[in-house]
Amino acid sequence: MSKIQEVKAKVEIGKTKLIPGLVQEALDEGNAPGEILQAMVESMSVVGEKFSSGEIFVPEMLIAAKAMSKGVDVLRPLMAGDTSASLGTCIIGTVAGDLHDIGKNLVSMMIESAGFTMVDLGVDVPAERFVEAVKENENVTLVACSGLLTTTMPALKEAVQTIKASGLDVKVIVGGAPVTPEYAAEIGADGFAPDAGSAAVKAKELVA
Amino acid sequence: MLTKRQNLMETIKGGNPDRFVNQYEFMNLIMEAPLGEMAGPGQIIKNGWGITFSWPADQLGGFPVHDEEHKVLKDITDWKNQVKAPAVATSDEAWAAAVAHANAVDRNEEFVTAFVAPGVFEMTHHLMSMEDALMALYEEPEDMHDLIDYLVDYELAYAKELISRIHPDCIFHHDDWGSQRSSFVSPEMFEEFFLPAYKKIYGFYKENGVELIVHHSDSYGVNLVPFMIEMGIDIWQGVMTTNNVPELIEKYGQQMTFMGAIDSGVVDFPGWTPEIVAEYTEKACKECGKLYFIPNLTQGLNFSSFPGVYEETTKVIDRLSKEMF
Repeated sequence: MSKIQEVKAKVEIGKTKLIPGLVQEALDEGNAPGEILQAMVESMSVVGEKFSSGEIFVPEMLIAAKAMSKGVDVLRPLMAGDTSASLGTCIIGTVAGDLHDIGKNLVSMMIESAGFTMVDLGVDVPAERFVEAVKENENVTLVACSGLLTTTMPALKEAVQTIKASGLDVKVIVGGAPVTPEYAAEIGADGFAPDAGSAAVKAKELVA
Repeated sequence: MLTKRQNLMETIKGGNPDRFVNQYEFMNLIMEAPLGEMAGPGQIIKNGWGITFSWPADQLGGFPVHDEEHKVLKDITDWKNQVKAPAVATSDEAWAAAVAHANAVDRNEEFVTAFVAPGVFEMTHHLMSMEDALMALYEEPEDMHDLIDYLVDYELAYAKELISRIHPDCIFHHDDWGSQRSSFVSPEMFEEFFLPAYKKIYGFYKENGVELIVHHSDSYGVNLVPFMIEMGIDIWQGVMTTNNVPELIEKYGQQMTFMGAIDSGVVDFPGWTPEIVAEYTEKACKECGKLYFIPNLTQGLNFSSFPGVYEETTKVIDRLSKEMF
């Protein structure tokens, strides 16, 4: 197995302690940083699919994302200024009145693993704050809004509609326990995902 | 007419109930027991474990605060220095109100029920955040086993005092094990870490006179049901419709009863109407049937987030009992 294949396999099973060494060995073999990064992105895509299908659970996904992030730490100094692999910046947050962050954090991790730079606004984010964050950050291509409560669905709607009304050229993806594809479409979101694995797939689709 | 207690037993044993068990009616909850501090609406508190909880006034519940300043357990490998269990209250004074309440209950009619929360899994993530707790199960399994043993020892110390004071007939124990679509951990991981913990806890209660273990997890959990049965749960409260409750009753009803099937999220919201409550309650009762099933909002106590929803649900169940029994 080539080193790059080994990196891919070990990210998938979350070998956090082995990854930095393996990434270094893959570089030493002459693989380009971008290729190694792409291999890890592909691993995380497999992880996302397995999570969506119920084959793996949250700890397995977290540990794989952590392994990838350890690998990215090794590659980062070598890729400074290279944006070719980036899918842009994604602003993420849980909408106003809602303090749930676990699902949002998982989605953030998976979208980051797909190749986005993440800006996490946290929880209880007012609609206007999403718009400000799009303006404040460079190359924002996507905004991800999360809402876990039936009672905060109006806030989700307001967030999406405020972002859309701003005229900014970004796609909006939504998710959270009470959100359905129908509701997402009704409030004007560009995309919906039922879980963190699907969110990464949808995010890539939306900015392609 | 059967008493509430008799009717419950007929329902969970597959006998001849004369009506639906109506939500929490069989539990007389002794909420005065000194379980530890809990945040109320608008409060920020630090409990005996040092965990800070914040419940903003406009929210439906409280949350543990997990920024670097407030997280109790920052490094799982150092948990022995960072986690200190509070003392279990053992004074007559601390237990007086609970004892008085328990003594006033007609045990032929209702179960004297002790409320216990949070559970072992919840404690791990309250101490260190969900992400850290779940990753620690992979990265530092030995320390997690040790920490869980420590949490179990605390629960057992509390259980011992609780039993000697109020002699509960029923334990209503919270520990949320999943989201609405999935369990948080795999069945294998659950079996390794949490099944042994709960076999000890629920086994201890049963060995000491507790007749009924009711476990709350308002989540998906089909993949954990065999373990729930093995650890001694009699009733799973909070079972959401994502579990396909009729199928679960068919498969496991003779071993465990299912309480819920009316998802709080779809009926308990500011714009609720009696028609919405009736629709979902009727669907639950008609699909799930009369045995091994207790119609109930999935919420983990005997009230709703929005005034009137719990009472309306009770009314609909009463009507359905008259129509269906």
